[in-house]
Amino acid sequence: MDVIDAKNIVKTFPLKRGKVKAVNNVSLRVRKGEIFGLLGVNGAGKSTLINILSGLTYPDSGVINLFGKDLYQHEEDCKKRFNVATPYYDLNRSITGRENLLVYAKLYGVKNPKEKIKALTDKFMLSSRLNIPTRHLSSGERTRLVMVKSLLNDPELLFLDECTVGLDPDMAEIARDHIIQFNKETKCTIIFTSHYMQEVERLCHRIAFMDQGKIVKIGTGKDLVQELNWQDVHLHFSKHIDRAKELLTAEHISFQQQQNYLVFQVQNRQNVLYPLLQKFVQKNIIFNDLQVNKPTLEDYFLRRSRKR
Amino acid sequence: MRWHRITAMLWNYYYNTINSADRLFDIFYWPLLDLFIWGFMTHFIQGISDVNILSMILGGIILWVFLWRSSQDVAVYVLENFWSRNVYHLFASPLTIKELAVSLFIMGAIRSVLSFFTVSLVSFALYQFNIFTFNFFHVGLFVSILLIFAWALGLLVTSFIFRYGTRVQVLGWSTIWIIQPFSCVFYPLSALPSWAAKIAIILPTTHVFEGLRASLSNQPLHYFSLFYSFVFSLLFFILCAWILSAAVHKAKRRGSLGKPE
Repeated sequence: MDVIDAKNIVKTFPLKRGKVKAVNNVSLRVRKGEIFGLLGVNGAGKSTLINILSGLTYPDSGVINLFGKDLYQHEEDCKKRFNVATPYYDLNRSITGRENLLVYAKLYGVKNPKEKIKALTDKFMLSSRLNIPTRHLSSGERTRLVMVKSLLNDPELLFLDECTVGLDPDMAEIARDHIIQFNKETKCTIIFTSHYMQEVERLCHRIAFMDQGKIVKIGTGKDLVQELNWQDVHLHFSKHIDRAKELLTAEHISFQQQQNYLVFQVQNRQNVLYPLLQKFVQKNIIFNDLQVNKPTLEDYFLRRSRKR
Repeated sequence: MRWHRITAMLWNYYYNTINSADRLFDIFYWPLLDLFIWGFMTHFIQGISDVNILSMILGGIILWVFLWRSSQDVAVYVLENFWSRNVYHLFASPLTIKELAVSLFIMGAIRSVLSFFTVSLVSFALYQFNIFTFNFFHVGLFVSILLIFAWALGLLVTSFIFRYGTRVQVLGWSTIWIIQPFSCVFYPLSALPSWAAKIAIILPTTHVFEGLRASLSNQPLHYFSLFYSFVFSLLFFILCAWILSAAVHKAKRRGSLGKPE
């Protein structure tokens, strides 16, 4: 079953001069148990899309079904079943973390809230900081508090908007592990945005790349990266580097020299690298080391964002 | 409407209150300060006047608390959530706008009652003025009209906050003081110049405080005026509830609930 089935969502915001289409005719289906990544540069429309899907912002047009129900006709029902976490919005800063969590546990009708809060705060290593007013917590602790809040109601759908921002590497890893574990155990659908590409690659089953309010590509991390049809080649020479440069120039391959390395790109799909290396051997140009780097999601992100 | 979500919000306000000197001062400090200043001044004037001015002013101060606290609290507790940017999480939760409003009404009423008892006890201790010797039916009638009107005012200010954000937060504290001079809290309607009296006579609060003075002087109450006040307050309340609903709808259209200010 599709947990999210959104069709033709459009959202326009007025500017001082003119207006901007923050979400431009986006259609999206996300299956139960899927961790779905939203990628894109700042202003691509990811957060607006999340706000629309979580009922915080009304779209200009489009239909949103969550759990098979129209979001706006069954808003209360849908909201009971999902939750959101983002480091950009705190919980009530005037009260303590424990008080905040108790309030939200009651809002979501959580049974045994104290036990639930204890279990979650233990996992996120927040238990000892719960009696401190939220405003006195560090930004990382506040982010963890929001994450704990987002898990209180055992959501079937979880929107995690850059939720590892501000966490130290150790805590971010714990958060990622917990997200994976929670997804495996509960089959919770997760919509995940992040600017850490490795994190997205590791967590997400599918990824949508957004640009100027549109989803321009959707697929697994591998699918996206495959679009990049090249590999980075690093060849190390202790001698013959000038002859190697001549050969590459003759082959019309642009390269960079980094000390004793020549770095260049070759097309993936054409069989370029093997014949090239054979030419090096035939001309007795000896290289000591060969390193071939396949493109990553980060390369995909950079390529896409620089295309703009 | 789910009661557990209303109580969740009441707990939220309770935690806010016990953690904030500002919110505690609202209940005790300001009403008592009013009582001291007006009370002592009136005590002095009482000596040179044969009108029961002390009772009138103290009665006004005590009933004013309901209007003041209830309207201001509705707006200020919404503002607290705006300041924390907690509104994002509240509106992503199943909490409905009706539940939010009801929780604000209850909390405003509870805090008003706390202020009411505080100023009532202190006014008895300092000035031997006992509000509890009044006709309970009359006091109940006055309080209910004031509460409905106060909630409506609070909703109206809250609507502006949802529509324009915290840049209009000053309305949270100031709106009630625009109403006060025309409400004839401490003086009769006849004391106002004619232009001000034209405004005052429309306000339901004026009729409540006129009723209070009549009750204190053992004169008959103008039930029609009070009926008018009740109906006016109720209609104003319905209008303000509609305005709030429209303001929240507009905020969602503008996307302002999901954007930091």
